[in-house]
Amino acid sequence: MESEIFKALADPTRRSVFEKLAVGAMNASKLREGMAISQPAISQHLGVLRSAGLVRERRDGRFVNYEVDPEGLVQIGRWLARYRAYWPRRIDDLKALLKDMDP
Amino acid sequence: MSERANDPPEDTQDEAVIALEVELDAPPEKVWRAIAIADFRERWLPQADLAEPEPVASIPGVEVQYRMREDGAPFADSLVTIRIEPGRRGGALLRIVHRIEGGARLTSANDNLRPVSMAA
Repeated sequence: MESEIFKALADPTRRSVFEKLAVGAMNASKLREGMAISQPAISQHLGVLRSAGLVRERRDGRFVNYEVDPEGLVQIGRWLARYRAYWPRRIDDLKALLKDMDP
Repeated sequence: MSERANDPPEDTQDEAVIALEVELDAPPEKVWRAIAIADFRERWLPQADLAEPEPVASIPGVEVQYRMREDGAPFADSLVTIRIEPGRRGGALLRIVHRIEGGARLTSANDNLRPVSMAA
């Protein structure tokens, strides 16, 4: 699941779609405004974001709105938490190595 | 070995970026060796944590970029950029920026710097 998120966000277009939706829910045509992208292409990107669990669909009468899936944010939060703990440990090891090395 | 700061200067949920900087009590050239020479690198940044042992890109003495392994999925990339700058009193300032991203682009503040080796 987490690895799908990295794949989904590796694409710059999908990142900007995701960022737009982070501001608020909207439908596909609203989402397309200001972007040089075709309707089929945006549907495809939304599909990838959905299967990664980053975006979800909400039906509103005849319209379908897309919104950020909170579960996806939890996964990103997990990634951040993991590496926030990881890097300080690596830096401690680096300092130990620097002490050991010849000048 | 003393350090000054370990706090992330920029770190936003939206972008999934981890950024931290730390002042090291060792000259930049020495820190560069610890980062760029694989046998040294292995002792603090083990290959098991990297997607590939070779850097994605590097500017000798200044900056190196590694792709980090994310749960073993080959497509799942995060990129870490490790940059060395002269610190205070002959030490080195180490900047680490780690983000979820696909591209392999060196982001240098100085236009005169060019990556000498880039992965295809």
